[in-house]
Order: sequence, then C-alpha cells, then structure tokens
Amino acid sequence: MRQLRRFFRTPETVAGAAILVLLVAMALAAPLLFPRDPQAIAGPALLPPFQDWSLPLGTDRLGRDVLAELFHGARTSLAVGLAAAAAALLIGAAVGTLAGFAGGVIDEVLMRVTDAFQTVPSFLLALAFVSIVGPSLGVVVAAIALGAWTGPARVARAEVLSICERDYVAGARVIGMHPLEIAFREVLPNALPPVLALSSVIVAAAILTEAALSFLGLGDPNRVTWGDMIAEGRAVLRTAPYLSIFPGIALVLTVLGVYLAGEGVVESTAVRRSLS
Amino acid sequence: MSVLAVSNLSKRYRRGGKPFAAVDDVSFEIGLAETLALAGPSGSGKSTIARLVLRLIEPDAGRIEFEGADFLSLSGGALRARRARLQMVFQDPLAAFNPRATVARVLDDPLRIHGIASRAERPRRIAALLERVGLDAGLAGRAIHEISGGQRQRVAIARAIATRPSLIVLDEAVSALDVSVRGQILELLLDLQRQERIAYLFISHDLGVIRAVAHRVVILDAGRIVESGDARTVIASPQSAIGKALVAATPKLVRTSQDAA
Repeated sequence: MRQLRRFFRTPETVAGAAILVLLVAMALAAPLLFPRDPQAIAGPALLPPFQDWSLPLGTDRLGRDVLAELFHGARTSLAVGLAAAAAALLIGAAVGTLAGFAGGVIDEVLMRVTDAFQTVPSFLLALAFVSIVGPSLGVVVAAIALGAWTGPARVARAEVLSICERDYVAGARVIGMHPLEIAFREVLPNALPPVLALSSVIVAAAILTEAALSFLGLGDPNRVTWGDMIAEGRAVLRTAPYLSIFPGIALVLTVLGVYLAGEGVVESTAVRRSLS
Repeated sequence: MSVLAVSNLSKRYRRGGKPFAAVDDVSFEIGLAETLALAGPSGSGKSTIARLVLRLIEPDAGRIEFEGADFLSLSGGALRARRARLQMVFQDPLAAFNPRATVARVLDDPLRIHGIASRAERPRRIAALLERVGLDAGLAGRAIHEISGGQRQRVAIARAIATRPSLIVLDEAVSALDVSVRGQILELLLDLQRQERIAYLFISHDLGVIRAVAHRVVILDAGRIVESGDARTVIASPQSAIGKALVAATPKLVRTSQDAA
C-alpha cells in the first residue's frame, strides 16, 4: 500500500499510468466495440473525422474505419511491445546470469557475443531478420528481442557478479547445491530488480520498432498496426493528414505512458530500497 | 585419528601488483569432537583459511586431508556429496541466507540435496532440527528477515547439523550477536559437540570466547602461525607479541590476571 501511494505521488507517473490503463482498455475492448474485421470496408473512402458519428474518426483511402483500426492497432502494439520485452529480459537475464556466475571462458564467449549484437544497430538487425524470415507477429517479436536483450544481459551480469560475493552464495556451495541451481534459484531472483527496471525503456523501444517495421511494410500483413496506418496515410498526407496524425498521436502517447509509468515504478522501489 | 589435517597450506593474492601471502605455510590438525580456535587480528588470514578448508577458494600449495582422505582432489559431484560432512556457520546470519528464503526452505535444501529425507518426511525433520537448536517448530513458515538475529544464528546452526557433519567451521559465528545471546549460542554449540561428536574450527578475534569453548588455539599473524597450543595455557601466558597484544585487548582477561597476581 505504501508503495502504491508513493507510486502515485508524482503527476508524471499518474499520467503514465492513466495512459497505460486507457491503452490496455482499448486493446481489451477492441473486439467488443468493433467486432467486425477492422480491415474491412466500413463506409465511403476518405471520410473526414467528426462528420459521421458512426465513423467518428472518418475513414482511410479504402473506406476502413479509422477508430476501429486505432483500437485494433493498440492490441498489436501492446502485444508486440510486451512479448518482445519479455523475451529480451528473459534471454538477457539468463545470458547475464550464466556469464557472471560461470566466469572464465564461458563469460568471455557470452560477453563477446553480447558485444557483437550491441555493435549492430538493433533496428537494422530487426529489419534484416524480418526481411529474411518473412513478416509475421512472432518473427517481428523475435526480431525486436534480438536487438534488445544485450542491455538486460549486461545489467544482470554486473548484478550477479556482486551477488556472487555474498555469504549466502558461499553458504549454498557449502551445503553442496548444484552450480546451476545456485545460479538460477539463489542468484537470479535477487539480481532481477535492476534488470526489470529496464523493462519500461525496452517496451517503449519495442513498440516504436514495431511501428517502424510496419511503416516500412515489414509488419504482419494480417494485423492492423499503427505503423501501417501512418504509412497508408502518407500517400494522402496533404489532403487527409488526419490519417497519419491519429495513429501518430496514439504512438507518441503510448510510448510516453509506458516510459512514465515505468520510471514511476523504478522510483518508488528505489526509495524503498534506500530506506530499508 | 584427526578429522581434518591441513599441511603447508598457502594462498597468495596480488595487492597493488605485488604478490602477498594471505596464508603462508600453515599446518594444523583437528581431532574428533575437538574445538580448534584460530585467533588473530584482522587480515591475519583466519577467514581465508576457513574458505580454503571449505574449498570455497583454492589454495596455491599444501594438502587438506578430511576424514583421512585427500579433500583437494575431489571435484564436481564427489565434492558436493562430501560437503555434507563439512559445514559452515557464517558471521552475519542475515547475509548468510538468501533474502527471499523462509526458515523451512533454508533447512529443506540440505536434506533434499543430500537425499537425507524423502519429500514427505522432510517437514518432520525440519521441525526436529528446529527443536534441536532450541527453536519453536512453528518458526518454519517465517521468512528469514522476520526472525531475530539470535534465532537466525540458531537456524544457521540447524542447517549446518542437518547433514550430520563431523566438522563445522564457525567463522566469527558469535561476533555479531549481543552478549546475552552469545552465551546461549555458545552453550548450544558445546551441547551439540558433546552429543553429536562434532569437531569445530572456531574462528574468532575474541580470546574470551575462545577460552570458553576451544580446546586448542592457533594464533595467526600475517598469514603465518606464530603460536599454538592448549587454549587456556596460551591465553594465560602468550609467548608471541601478537598473542600478548590480543590478550591485552581483551579487558576481562587482563583483570583476571591481575586478580591472580
């Protein structure tokens, strides 16, 4: 409870949390409010917003409902963002823990692989990966995770190195615990908090990367995405700018919301730590 | 027959580019159900010896014989299995346990790892261990950070005796406890030694405590043994400069020697 109150103390985190709640509500409500296929034609093409109240945000070049697309796009953005971040954190934490705990040659090899991934710009990596394997939601998630796991790996390794010096790890060795059990049951859970602190940045970056991939036509073609919508609207940017502006605003607000809420979580736990 | 025989043990570190000996050609033996104390000022190599004996770090030279067999040649699964017989209690009982653990989990681990009791049998064994060290069996469900320092050190001792070891290394095991609790823990250790025939390698800088529990004492300085012998004799009339300094630093002992004079 105290932590919750601390979390809601700053207006930024309240705003961030509100945006996130709204986004999740949009994603969950999409199939209820707009049960029809959002990619189906719903009215005349290029209907401007606020004209017809059955199509409040108007329609795009093909006559698709912009509001329905926006709602269904939230599902994609959220799903990809969370899945990619979860995958990146999972891989990163496992690699970092193994490297920090094993030391020696294993550490060297794993960290040089991490270096290699870090030197390649993550967006280029995602672009290349999706181009080769082909666009689908799973591939997009994997492509984004591929460029995002190095940060968590480095943080996890540093944390593991410091935890390995503590007495309770020595104690686990003294009672004859297997090294893998020590690494993943004794060390990893205690190394996680600073790694999880990275999650807001990773989720935000993943949502942006997914939008950028879709914008370049490398998103899942069977799903509505905000990046797709912006790319679609580009052709009629002068006559119907709202087609790019609405998903653009949604994207900016989402990334901002994830980031602010994430920062709030880190702040509130950081205060708790320094107090105890 | 000795439980532990350490001979010519050495461990060097590099400090500021220069090699320096943390432990330098140290030899000692501990007999069955005997308490050998390692005393010395900070940095004299006491804790390094404890970690070497437990194979938490590897020596540069020397031999360690445990229960009559070469302990340094063991590795992997054979070493882990052997660890059941050689346990340790740390100085800070809070740092010695995973901060997320409960009392039950801490005691469950050694029983599970060494296959001492089946899953169904373990809760009963855990309760018995808690009672053996003078704790209420109901404590099992509590988190480690919820219980007091003295209770925590009792849990640490319960964990150490769970696998029925022949030797327990006590690294400043009572130094972090307040005086009244310290006496009770020392009583518990003596009682366990009498009943279970456990030998102790008792590391401390406090000669008062050492005199109360140890049979023999080894005094270290800068990684070398400077004096050793019967605990009471050595503490009553230390021969080495470090031994004299340690006795002088223990207020109660100075007073007793004045009383005797």
